[in-house]
Amino acid sequence: MSGMDMLSQAEQRELQGRMEKKQMKDFMNMYSNLVQRCFNDCVTDFTSKSLLGKEEGCVMRCVDKFLKSSERLGERFQEQNAAMAQQGGMGVGR
Amino acid sequence: MSFLFGQRPQPSSAEKIAAAEAEIEMVSNMFNQLVDTCTKKCIPPQYREADLNKGESVCLDRCVAKFFEVNVKVSEKMQGEAAQKGGAGGAGGGMFGQ
Repeated sequence: MSGMDMLSQAEQRELQGRMEKKQMKDFMNMYSNLVQRCFNDCVTDFTSKSLLGKEEGCVMRCVDKFLKSSERLGERFQEQNAAMAQQGGMGVGR
Repeated sequence: MSFLFGQRPQPSSAEKIAAAEAEIEMVSNMFNQLVDTCTKKCIPPQYREADLNKGESVCLDRCVAKFFEVNVKVSEKMQGEAAQKGGAGGAGGGMFGQ
């Protein structure tokens, strides 16, 4: 990332601190998105207060699937980014 | 970065950090949108099993490739339009043309 090279040590530390905060925030967002998505898709029965066995199983599989998807998407994203940076392109750099 | 307008004083520390932060934020937002969109398009909401099957995996891969392509095409088009509109195009182009 072109911007990063020009920062001093102190500046990089500051940036690092901000990035950690951001990562925390992103994680919380992902978590609440995931809860919402899996609830919407899996929980349909309100004849009882507790989750049905099948609903619980569905939620577990939903979380697994989503995390695996995110991981895969992250890998592809990095590959595409690297390919674009090589083409001297866009500055969506890492 | 984009010192486009000739003589300019060196950016301050805060400006440099803000610029780096903005760039990271842009990439991070793009990734989050990508995850959101591609999981909606590729993962049906049935969740019969915990692993990704072959079809879903391939769909995700293609989704990322197409997402990037769309990103590039949209920004090229917008740069084109901005350039047509004259001087202000410099700033718009500078944002992407790293």
